[in-house]
Amino acid sequence: MKKLLALVMALALVLSMASFASAEGYNGEIKIWVAENVVDFTKDQVEAFKAAHPEYANLTAVVEPVGEGDAAGNMITDVEAGADIFGFAQDQLARLVSAGALETVEENNAEVVKAENDAGSVAAVTLGDTMYAYPMTSDNGYFLYYDKSVVTDPSTLEAVVAACEAAGKNFYFEINSGWYQTAFFFGAGAELTFDTDNEGKLVKMNSTYASDAGVQALKAMINLHKSAAFQNGSSVSAGNNIGAIVDGTWDAGAAKEAFGDNYAAAKLPTVDGYQLGGFGGFKMLGVKPQTDEDKLAACDALAAFLTSEEVQVARYNAVGWGPSNLNAQQNEAVQADEALSALAAQLAYTMPQGQYPGNYWSLATGLGDDIIAGNYDDADDAKLLEILQGFEATCETYLDK
Amino acid sequence: MTDLDYLKLSGAGKFAYNLGQFFRNLPGRLLGGLKGIGLWVARLFQSLGKNLKDLVVTFREGDWKTRLSYLVMGFGSCARGQWGRGILFFLFQTLFNLYMFFPNAQFSGCYYLAKLNTLGTVETYKEGRKTIYGDNSFFILLYGILTIFFIIAMIYTWRLNVKQNRLNEQFLKSGHKLKSTKEDMAALLDEQFHKTLLALPTLGVALFTILPIIFMILVAFTNFDATHQPPSKLFTWVGWDNFHQLLSTDTTSYGDTFRQVLLWTLIWAFFATFLNYFLGMLVAIMINKKGIKLKKLWRTVLVMTIAIPQFVSLLYVSKMFAADGLINTYLMKWGWISSPVPFWTDPGWARFTIILINVWIGIPYLMLIATGILMNIPADLYESARIDGANAFQMYRKITLPYMLFVTGPYLLTSFTGNINNFNVIYLLSQGKPLSLELSGNAGYTDLLITWLYKMTVSDTNYKLAATMGILVFVVLAIINLIAYNLIPSVKNEEDFQ
Repeated sequence: MKKLLALVMALALVLSMASFASAEGYNGEIKIWVAENVVDFTKDQVEAFKAAHPEYANLTAVVEPVGEGDAAGNMITDVEAGADIFGFAQDQLARLVSAGALETVEENNAEVVKAENDAGSVAAVTLGDTMYAYPMTSDNGYFLYYDKSVVTDPSTLEAVVAACEAAGKNFYFEINSGWYQTAFFFGAGAELTFDTDNEGKLVKMNSTYASDAGVQALKAMINLHKSAAFQNGSSVSAGNNIGAIVDGTWDAGAAKEAFGDNYAAAKLPTVDGYQLGGFGGFKMLGVKPQTDEDKLAACDALAAFLTSEEVQVARYNAVGWGPSNLNAQQNEAVQADEALSALAAQLAYTMPQGQYPGNYWSLATGLGDDIIAGNYDDADDAKLLEILQGFEATCETYLDK
Repeated sequence: MTDLDYLKLSGAGKFAYNLGQFFRNLPGRLLGGLKGIGLWVARLFQSLGKNLKDLVVTFREGDWKTRLSYLVMGFGSCARGQWGRGILFFLFQTLFNLYMFFPNAQFSGCYYLAKLNTLGTVETYKEGRKTIYGDNSFFILLYGILTIFFIIAMIYTWRLNVKQNRLNEQFLKSGHKLKSTKEDMAALLDEQFHKTLLALPTLGVALFTILPIIFMILVAFTNFDATHQPPSKLFTWVGWDNFHQLLSTDTTSYGDTFRQVLLWTLIWAFFATFLNYFLGMLVAIMINKKGIKLKKLWRTVLVMTIAIPQFVSLLYVSKMFAADGLINTYLMKWGWISSPVPFWTDPGWARFTIILINVWIGIPYLMLIATGILMNIPADLYESARIDGANAFQMYRKITLPYMLFVTGPYLLTSFTGNINNFNVIYLLSQGKPLSLELSGNAGYTDLLITWLYKMTVSDTNYKLAATMGILVFVVLAIINLIAYNLIPSVKNEEDFQ
């Protein structure tokens, strides 16, 4: 009997030691999804992480190339087969949270994130009062790239369009996208935001689209579409005969190539005397809910490391992604970047992109397509207001009940 | 109307007569169908009663081996020396019991069956920072169906097992010897060879075709979408809500959009089928005409569009017609137009452009088919027509067209069906765009039901509505096919060309 007791005791001791030991580190496999052009970069950084944290020296990180848009979609479709850490853009946050594909940020890490990153990016990773992801970049916004030999004065939209028309060049502005459209609406002073609760449910809509400001914005878009120079689009590589284009930092390389020595970037122009606004956007790293606490701790530590100041600066140097970390933003190389400076100038007029229902994007595309199809060419203010009222009413039906 | 009267009618008259006849017969046929279902149910109950009676009789008249077989499957067969059959029966029973009453409740059939009516009630929760997943509605639905399949198979096998005993007893009583296991095995390669061959395909069809179809049909009655996504969230039964959402005209429903998309789907299928058909035939006739030079060259040029994968050609053509594409740029450069033609941005233009481009890729196929058939039309028909003084158009209408329609009737039908589900052309050319505030649910003016369904599944993870739409597409196709099948000459006037 005594022997048996001793055996049990010894077993218990071994077991507790084993669990104690494993709480220290983790040496299983962690799957990471990032955009294709940062796969190698991320692999190197994981090695740096292992070197800095000996308790995780034996973990295996599998880095797979999955673009930000696909990552969110794949995670929602099959959480269990999805990555443990994945990169995505902030418009997917509520969707991911309500599908149960995101773990909250560990408390201590959340404090650090809040202290070290710009306010917009912190707001973007937070739903209600819960932080769900680690901000990685603060460069997901749009501004104006233009050909210096075509456009001499990029300060007003009228001048940009006139210059493009005169030179027989195209001016690209993707007005049938819910993302680019807000440049007009927000700039004119109309608002459309959604409040979420802590679980990512959209509970309230705040909209002033159906207002004089909204009508003014809509009219500006209709006028833009009437120009012969106007083209709907936001991709330099898919464009043709470009004089100017509203696009983001991801296309900086392509724009440089297209414009050559005439490459220039600036904040968005004004129209009818008001400054075009829009969304400031962010990329972030999320951690999937885990059934193993040790693995979760490892994921937390790795995600925090991959979004830290040093790695953000290194990421800018490697692939040119603009950092969300305040100190990293002050880095000399970052400060000298033309596209990023244009974005920084534009960011003053933008608002951090919050959460929008998935259907909002197709509804906005519908509005844009209607404009481009010329359905509103002859509409008067009353008619335009009616359209925006309808737009608002439809948006309201997208709230989660 | 007598046969003679019918034959006197013109082509259009025949068609109208058939159409009228079809609708006149419709109530009768529907009634007949209902009667058939009634008869089927009656027969089902009859055979159920017969089987029950047979079970009782077998038990009462059978010996102890037979009676024990009611509990332990295959016992009778083993006791009478048919080891092979007995062991198979017993194995099946063991497997079934193991599956139904597996010690780990999460994997047992009973567990899934019991949860099937709610699709799970245990929510996912957190223990500290750790996540403990609750019920997985997806697996409950899937394995629930599988369990029902298994139970039906079990009942059938059990009945077979009892029947075996009865037959064997009677067989032995009449002084015959039972087949040994070895003889059974040999039979499987001889007179029972069809069973050997079909066993695997049948199992495959049941598991990989029938099971998913039933699963999808059932999903249409649940709220399985982005906000009810297993394993973190549960989904449950919602009855006919999804059909209501898709068909009713409430402001938040998709009824108007659904009708719009359905109408365009039918218009598209009509033009895509018949425009290609007649133009393809025309091209074939022109190339076939005596005196046309370089026949092979013309055919090759046309067939080139088949040789290039649609993925490449359609994406490229779509770009060509864009507002900043090749065609608009050149038209403007030459001063023919002052602003770009809205090929893809205006609903009407977009639909027209799609049909036009589809003609370009569809004609070659029809030309190939038509060329073969045209060469088959007996030349003496034309010769006598010419002697009678018929002109080219008359010959086409009276000889070529009827012959073509007769031979290609079934092809037309399948191609119409195919065009209703023609995902490639639409999705590669326009992705269903342009959208509009007039339409809801991410649908565009050039969306077919099938591309809308695709968007719902892939971009909106709205599986419930996608499943519902799948059912509705089937209903639409079934109705159209039934009507068309009853009207095509290949079915109606079977003897015309024999």
